[in-house]
Amino acid sequence: MKKIEAIIKPFKLDDVKEALTEIGIHGMTVSEVKGFGRQRGHTEIYRGAEYQVDFIPKLKLEVVVDAELVPEVVKMIEQKAKTGSIGDGKIFVSSLDEVIRIRTGERGKDAV
Amino acid sequence: MVEYWNGGMSKIRFYCPLPHYSNTPLSLKPSSEVPDMSQFESPVSVLREKKELLIARFLKGDEPCFLERHAKILDDYFRESFAGSSVGPRIRMDKNPYAIIALGGYGRKEQCLHSDVDVLLLFKKKIPDEAKEIVQEIFYPLWDIGLDVGYAIRTLKECSKLACQDFEVLTSLIDARFLCGISSLYSDLMEQLHGKVLRRYGHAYIGWLAERNQGRHTRFGDSSYLLEPNLKDGLGGLRDYHSILWAARAKYNLKEPKELELVGHLSHDEFQCLSRALSFIWGVRNWLHHLSRRKCDQLYFEYQVKLARVLDFKQGNGQQAVEVFLGALHGHMEFLKQQHLMFLNKALPRKRGPGKAERRAVAKGLEVVQDALNFESPETILHNPKLLIKIFERSARLGIPLSIEAKRLVKEFLYLIDENFRSSRAVVQSFERILVAPSQTFNVLDEMLNTGMMVALIPEMKGIVNRIQYDEYHLYPVDKHSLRTVQALKSFGGPGLEAQDTLCRKLFSEIARPELLLWAALLHDVGKGEQGKDHARQGAEIVRSVFKRMGFAEQDIEAISFLVREHLLLINTATRRDLNAEKTVVQCARKIRDTERLKMLYLLTVADSMATGPKAWNDWIAVLLKELFFKVYHILKKGELATPTAIEIVEKKRQEVLESAAAMPRDALETLFDQMSPRYLLYTPSKEILRHIDLYQKLGREPFALEVQAVPGTNYRTATVCARDFPGLFSKISGAFTLNNLDILSVQIYTWRNHIALDIFKVKAPPDTLLEDEIWVRLKNDLRSALKGKLALGPALDQKLRAYQSLRKRIPIRPDKIVVDNRTSDFFTIIEIYAYDFPGLLYKITDTLFQCKLDIWVAKIATKVDQVVDVFYVRDFDGQKVDAPEQIGAIKEAIMEVLASNPTESRQPTRSALI
Repeated sequence: MKKIEAIIKPFKLDDVKEALTEIGIHGMTVSEVKGFGRQRGHTEIYRGAEYQVDFIPKLKLEVVVDAELVPEVVKMIEQKAKTGSIGDGKIFVSSLDEVIRIRTGERGKDAV
Repeated sequence: MVEYWNGGMSKIRFYCPLPHYSNTPLSLKPSSEVPDMSQFESPVSVLREKKELLIARFLKGDEPCFLERHAKILDDYFRESFAGSSVGPRIRMDKNPYAIIALGGYGRKEQCLHSDVDVLLLFKKKIPDEAKEIVQEIFYPLWDIGLDVGYAIRTLKECSKLACQDFEVLTSLIDARFLCGISSLYSDLMEQLHGKVLRRYGHAYIGWLAERNQGRHTRFGDSSYLLEPNLKDGLGGLRDYHSILWAARAKYNLKEPKELELVGHLSHDEFQCLSRALSFIWGVRNWLHHLSRRKCDQLYFEYQVKLARVLDFKQGNGQQAVEVFLGALHGHMEFLKQQHLMFLNKALPRKRGPGKAERRAVAKGLEVVQDALNFESPETILHNPKLLIKIFERSARLGIPLSIEAKRLVKEFLYLIDENFRSSRAVVQSFERILVAPSQTFNVLDEMLNTGMMVALIPEMKGIVNRIQYDEYHLYPVDKHSLRTVQALKSFGGPGLEAQDTLCRKLFSEIARPELLLWAALLHDVGKGEQGKDHARQGAEIVRSVFKRMGFAEQDIEAISFLVREHLLLINTATRRDLNAEKTVVQCARKIRDTERLKMLYLLTVADSMATGPKAWNDWIAVLLKELFFKVYHILKKGELATPTAIEIVEKKRQEVLESAAAMPRDALETLFDQMSPRYLLYTPSKEILRHIDLYQKLGREPFALEVQAVPGTNYRTATVCARDFPGLFSKISGAFTLNNLDILSVQIYTWRNHIALDIFKVKAPPDTLLEDEIWVRLKNDLRSALKGKLALGPALDQKLRAYQSLRKRIPIRPDKIVVDNRTSDFFTIIEIYAYDFPGLLYKITDTLFQCKLDIWVAKIATKVDQVVDVFYVRDFDGQKVDAPEQIGAIKEAIMEVLASNPTESRQPTRSALI
């Protein structure tokens, strides 16, 4: 099992979600996050007062899938989240030791 | 007892029958025989069976008095098991009288399905050893069948002592009800309670109740409890009613709830309302117990839809059944909440002491009595109906709430408000003054809503009163949400108690007509009362007629209706669109049109989101919204792309192009139109756009498409190149021109959003026009090779330019200048270059920009007197503006080097660059 985490632009969520649903991914966690990478924050000035935008709003998407599905999911996210300009985000893939569905106690693949 | 055995039992029998019944289904037995079985059945079995039947009737909807009957069944149990007790007779009743007494909810006969059963085993003198055996005999069987029984064994003395020490005990005793045993003992208990305890501690007790309720309300008032209200402890929950009852019992020695009307606290109508509210909430609670199979008082999401179904709510008026259900529940709970507040307000001990009713006239027909506003008399309202609004205006101005009596009178006299009243200038002005008045600790608008005044004045709001939106997003019914939005806006103008958004404060202080904004806030969701999807658009229509009736000026109506119509524009754009796309922002700007409207819309958006709930407003959304605000603001400030004329021009062109371009399907054309940048659309005539579309179609899979036209009456040619954009494209094209001796006079470059570059060159005709066609063919070949990387333009040009070395040198009069501007545009860095022209200059500059890793999006190349002025809108290869000082320095230096290589200039000892 693998966990795929993707940081994407907020307005791309619907596209990505739709695409993932189409390839049979039905569960995901989405959180509102802020951060920065190469895309820096900036300062707005209005009538002398500064409004600092240090961290840029992004969405973090987490999907847990079977290892063989990883390439397809990653490809989908990559395609759909891309605008070509800076700040399109990143995808992280990591290995997962265990998954447990709390309600039923199912483990591993069954719990995904 | 017979009454319980009729009805449902002939059809339904739940659970497993007792052993001696197992062969004979109950349904075959004549009902008259049934009571007899109590003679040979244990009381607890009887209890269980009766309860099953009661539940069966309840589930069928045949049992309107479930709570009372349920309590009665338990009463029967206690009486029967007490009568049949084997321990009882061993205690000498005459020596030490005792009784079993129901407490708390059971005492009030409010026994829901899984409510607990609180009982008191009360002894007159001392607790005998047998008391424990009685508990075992009578109470234990109840535990065995799964009832939640709580009991206390106390003497009379202990009771009153505990009641004085612990008001919780007092509270449970106050609802005490005699079950069995010696009834005079119960009378003694109540006498002690009222005579001793409450006489001494009555005021303290009411104060304690008020305090405890406040704590409970803050605890259960938070957002999650609004979406999933707690029927018992929440705001407007049953506890609010109980508190009224307890306080009334303490104050007036009230026996039955009905007496609330008699002691003059409630009017007849209000008591009816109260009864309806209670029976509704109890019904919901009982079903909730049934569905959750436990004593559950919080209306969790998972049960809401089911409850709406079992309570037979139907969808209607564009609302789901569950929304109608929650709306009704909310209405009833709101009523309880109001009654509770009013009662405590009245029952609480006053500082000045009762009886000293100080009256003070504050306006004609209005007076202040005991810190509350009231009408002088009901008759004055009849003589002067305007008092109905004046009292609220006065309340807002003085910061004094309306008395309970005044609110009651307002409700009763609402029928006086007719069309003339509503449209009266004086009334509208009063209303507006209330609207803009700084918010008090209590909210006058809330009181107007709760008394029905608001709806009487604006009947269009009726549809949003208690209208629930069933999701995890909208915490408040639409009407409350609207008032909260107004409140949030006013907080921007109020004193900075909380750490408020400074931008909002600043903007609020700048807008010229805050009242228009507040009106819009009050009615921004009024369209939600209608059927249909687009509540903003419908709301805008409704608002139009409301303010027309109120006699507003046309431009004010337009402003309010604009705010209502577009109140979702900013939030939707900020969260769902690419804010880095200039087009997105320009489209927003075009709808908004001026900075004043932008400021109002931004404030309304923030207030609306804040008033919706924490899911709709957090720092994350705030950052996105602020970014959009600034971008739109800058575009409107510059006023180039979003002026009304610009909007008209673009729309006209769109129409012309859609009509004339027959070569493409209409929707493909519309899509393409969307790809074109605002700047391109504004500055390119529609005829040209059509030609460009043709050229774009010719492009197909080719690396580029070229079209050359002679400009009539001049010695110029217009060469248009359409190609797939990539960094460095422009320098390659201009290099190819120069290589073929085509002197570039000016150029416009545009990039469509589908990454199609459109470069429009104005060039001098070649010296030898006879063989012109050949030159263009050669250009095409060179360009093709250059794009494929087969032709190195740099060396080829260097070689060519050597031929120009011998040209006459000039001394520049003005120095070259490079300006890097990051302020004008939110999307591009603008580089302006003023220099003396020489062949190949444009190629060299653009190539340098490419070497600096810059992508050219827009270019304007023109000549100014003897200098060229080249303006480039650039972004780096990541699509970001160039704002790091060292990067800007490097770019300037690189371009300066190009300019210094001008072969036609004679070098000055020092060259200064004005930056």
